[in-house]
Amino acid sequence: MREPDFNSLAAALRKNGVAGRHAHRAVNELRDHYDDLVDAAVDEGASSRKARRLAAKQLGSMDEFVAQMAACRELKTWSFRYPHLAVVVYPLACLAILPAAPILAGIAHREALVRWGTSLLAAGLVTAAMLLVMQLSIILG
Amino acid sequence: MAQSNPPFMSGVPELLLLRLLNDDEMYGYELVRAIKQVTNEAISLGEGVIYPVLHSLERNGSLKSRRKAVGGRTRVYYSLTRKGRDRLDRLRNDWKRIQGGVATALETAVNA
Repeated sequence: MREPDFNSLAAALRKNGVAGRHAHRAVNELRDHYDDLVDAAVDEGASSRKARRLAAKQLGSMDEFVAQMAACRELKTWSFRYPHLAVVVYPLACLAILPAAPILAGIAHREALVRWGTSLLAAGLVTAAMLLVMQLSIILG
Repeated sequence: MAQSNPPFMSGVPELLLLRLLNDDEMYGYELVRAIKQVTNEAISLGEGVIYPVLHSLERNGSLKSRRKAVGGRTRVYYSLTRKGRDRLDRLRNDWKRIQGGVATALETAVNA
């Protein structure tokens, strides 16, 4: 049996509707479990490679693990539990958020906005100073 | 997962987990070892199978969990709640009733 791919496991769980906190915690628990199995096999005299193979076999198929997690309705996100409601609520939420989106985007990028604002102010001051110098040179010259 | 147990085993992992956690808090690997030990390895669970059950039981309030750092690893320890004890009592009674019924039926069939 192949060694379990824990990196893609969380993504597979999320794709099947398992809520993030359950997905990540289950993957971490499974990874620790796998490490414990490997350690136990090594302690019993197996080579590192054989220990990993045995551990993967004992742990079982990751596809079945995903299927079992996904079969538990209470572990899924609400949008997977109530898909019909999600179809209504998500677009409405998007519409409600739309007017606030520029403000939220501004808050999210406030550092860039402050930089741009400062640059614009500096450019304006320089331009005004140059125009003032030109005007004075016309008047006085 | 290991397929060494017959299909009517559905629900047994939950009962065993609740029973073991009634005595002490444990983490996943410990629980699998304990199940093998207390059942004399008669019940061989696919080791990953317990996590969906543990998470479901926690979600419905039968279990609570806490993280604990042990030997460089962060373990998630599970323990039974009051609701979990009630659930264990209910499942235990259901199990005894079914077990008695099946035993009677098997005896009847043998004697018939």
